[in-house]
Amino acid sequence: MKGRNYLLILLLVAISITALTGCSKSTASGQDIFEKVEEQGYIIMGLDDTFAPMGFRDNDGNLVGFDIDLAREVFKRIGFEVKFQPIDWSMKETELNSGNIDLIWNGYSITEERMKKVNFTEPYLKNRQIIITLADSDINSKADLKDKKVAVQNGSSTLDAIYKEPDIVETFQGGEPVLFDTNHEALMDLEAGRVDAVVSDEVLARYYISQKNPDDYKILDEDFGEEEYGIGVRKSDKELLDLLNSTLDEMRKDGSYEAIYEKWFGESN
Amino acid sequence: MFTYTLTLLPSMMKGLLTTLGVFFITLILSIPLGIIVSLGRLSKFKLLSKMVEFYIWVMRGTPLMLQIVFIFFGLPIVGITFDRFTAVIIAFVLNYAAYFGEIFRGGIESIDRGQYEAAKVLGLTPYKTFRRIILPQVFKMVIPSVGNEVITLVKDTSLTYIVGIGELLRAGRIASNRDVSLIPLALVGIIYLFLTAIVTGVFNKVEERYSYYE
Repeated sequence: MKGRNYLLILLLVAISITALTGCSKSTASGQDIFEKVEEQGYIIMGLDDTFAPMGFRDNDGNLVGFDIDLAREVFKRIGFEVKFQPIDWSMKETELNSGNIDLIWNGYSITEERMKKVNFTEPYLKNRQIIITLADSDINSKADLKDKKVAVQNGSSTLDAIYKEPDIVETFQGGEPVLFDTNHEALMDLEAGRVDAVVSDEVLARYYISQKNPDDYKILDEDFGEEEYGIGVRKSDKELLDLLNSTLDEMRKDGSYEAIYEKWFGESN
Repeated sequence: MFTYTLTLLPSMMKGLLTTLGVFFITLILSIPLGIIVSLGRLSKFKLLSKMVEFYIWVMRGTPLMLQIVFIFFGLPIVGITFDRFTAVIIAFVLNYAAYFGEIFRGGIESIDRGQYEAAKVLGLTPYKTFRRIILPQVFKMVIPSVGNEVITLVKDTSLTYIVGIGELLRAGRIASNRDVSLIPLALVGIIYLFLTAIVTGVFNKVEERYSYYE
């Protein structure tokens, strides 16, 4: 009886090992991106499809947005088929480096921390960290934020930006910002009157305000600095990086970048 | 407002289909696996029983989301790669089989020893005893606990967002960010309530049907 049990276990172990290895295929890391695209027929662009207006879905579920239009044009010129893969934003670098996606392109701010993990293209969009209040607020400058409740998205580049000016953060009520998971939540709290100001990406905030009543909000002239959006690729994909850079350059020169910009952000760059 | 809700429905239905896909595939695979797990856990063979105990401990002792992340992002490091949906299903099935296994074990252990002896006297093989005598009674007993797990499963399907699968809640978040409105999320809540209402109804019916001898 005992012997039979041993056999059974050995069999189970053997089956599970073959089952596991049977499903496995070698990971894409280490493989040249051009070979990979040739083999699978497309390049995979990772994006957070909840991120309006850079990349999101319309009512019919189609991916739309500034980054989507830009990427479609860039890859049309390069001659790659592009497949859009929704990912969770917190997993983006893991997705890239494990080869599940080939590039990150979705309002991806260039920061020093991220530069250690990925290679960025030249910036293709500038983005200020603006301060938003309700229209009737008495806040008109950074100094007026003293003893006020200021909301910021947690884990965002905005948070890094405001801490570059720690003297101002210290004057906030409580000595630190109120943190929200998304900019959307921060702005809803502003509307509800529970916070006095929100610091946020200009791109996101302007989209939010344009969807609401623009007259209800005020954007201060002062800001918490500028950041830039870039496209992230694996450190090993140098050739792809050059190709993306030169294609974006070309699009700036022939005005097609401008056309896409105006479609999504109205005013000219 | 009503027309706005209507425009949301197509994308929500797409998300709902994915949610239901994860839900049904997990159920269909994890319940039989749960029975096997419970048997392994009850095995007289110590090594097997200990191994199953360890598996149950890991599965119940770590967040399901972590297990999904580990299977999808961690295993490729050792050369085992699954696509998104497969990875999610593997994580869900392994996780839920552990819970179901413990529920079934409780059911099996609550059956009086005398029944095994009686079956033996009647000349039934161990397999027949289990299949014809024990299992039907276990089934009756575990219905409420299984129902609980199944309702949890309905909501746990939202965890698939971590690998970017477009399920119901994600569809809601997309629409919410796009339209700057909470209505899509409220709609998602209503759909979940609707789903759990159906599950609850089904389990009430099943419980009624199996309430013989009571």
